[in-house]
Amino acid sequence: MAEFQLPPGSRISNDGKTFKAPEGAKKVRRFQIYRFDPDSGQNPRVDTYEIDMATCGPMVLDALIKIKNEIDPTLSFRRSCREGICGSCAMNIDGSNTLACIKSCADVKGADVRIYPLPHMPVIKDLIPDLTQFYAQYAAVKPWLTTRSPAPPDGERLQSKEDQEKIDGPSACILCACCSTSCPSYWWNSDRYLGPAALLAAYRWIVDSRDDSTGERLDALEDPFRLYRCHTIMNCTEACPKDLNPARAIGEIKRMIAGRRH
Amino acid sequence: MRGSTPLGKVLGYGSAKDGAGHWWVQRVTAVALVPLTIWFVLSLASLPLADHAAVTAWMRQSLHAVPLSVLILTLCWHARLGVQVVLEDYVHHHGIKVTSLLLSTFLHALLASTGVFAVLRIAFAV
Repeated sequence: MAEFQLPPGSRISNDGKTFKAPEGAKKVRRFQIYRFDPDSGQNPRVDTYEIDMATCGPMVLDALIKIKNEIDPTLSFRRSCREGICGSCAMNIDGSNTLACIKSCADVKGADVRIYPLPHMPVIKDLIPDLTQFYAQYAAVKPWLTTRSPAPPDGERLQSKEDQEKIDGPSACILCACCSTSCPSYWWNSDRYLGPAALLAAYRWIVDSRDDSTGERLDALEDPFRLYRCHTIMNCTEACPKDLNPARAIGEIKRMIAGRRH
Repeated sequence: MRGSTPLGKVLGYGSAKDGAGHWWVQRVTAVALVPLTIWFVLSLASLPLADHAAVTAWMRQSLHAVPLSVLILTLCWHARLGVQVVLEDYVHHHGIKVTSLLLSTFLHALLASTGVFAVLRIAFAV
């Protein structure tokens, strides 16, 4: 059956530590952060860090880096570009999946900032999820141009401005996994459902005017689990930190598959 | 589940090349149920006194018995497709899943045929 409760070893214990703010801190904010170390043999816990926001950058990632540099070097998370283009720092902040680097601490409404790893993924350590299956799903949709028509002898395969605009949106996906890991269908059936990120990538090549294998791509997706586990819940579109619309792309794929039958 | 590499596991046995029919019929039956349900509710509500005698008299007319049978068939078909989605979403044990899908199909077929039989029996009663 679907898992409605975490397995015993994954349940959050109550023995989280609290790191008090330094004396004389002016603007204290509490960060509650999920901690898990597989080597310790212990259940995950939630540690509380009090931070003086007067000496911290505005984004959640700034706070995480401050914690790692100044308070607790054992805190583990992925980060790279700090400007919302690499997708490394995707995590669950204040109950929603987003990128820590472009999420402002001031936008978190509650008193505390709660930070967890992306939901329903195996956790490697702290805020780092195992994305192996997610990347395999991306690879499964063959995210590259496939052609049978010969290339023009004198240059690139050209595309009209309108055709380019069709792929501008889906091409902007940074594969941060915020959408797929926010989808309940993906939580219950990620072993067979490809998830919104991979389906958006598939759509990007289906609507590419230069690609010659649209039919084969639709064939590969027409499956009760790979595609039709999407029940238009729309969490994907809600979560996307790049304001893309995977739900619409999936709807378009379903329409194309239905349309070619008649 | 076949495959030993992450990609092999995701690709599994390949696409079932199926699901579009289910998706389409679920939408067609949903749209068809809108007018059928409104008609059914309004008809019953407009009876002066909806007791057993009045409702059976209403059902006896061909103009009512035919759309009522269509309503029952459409409803059962739609419900069968919906229950299938729920089972596929939440039941992950293959044997239990296939068994429940078969049972659900039989149950919905039984419901549909019993319903239509009841309507016809009333409609053709002397």
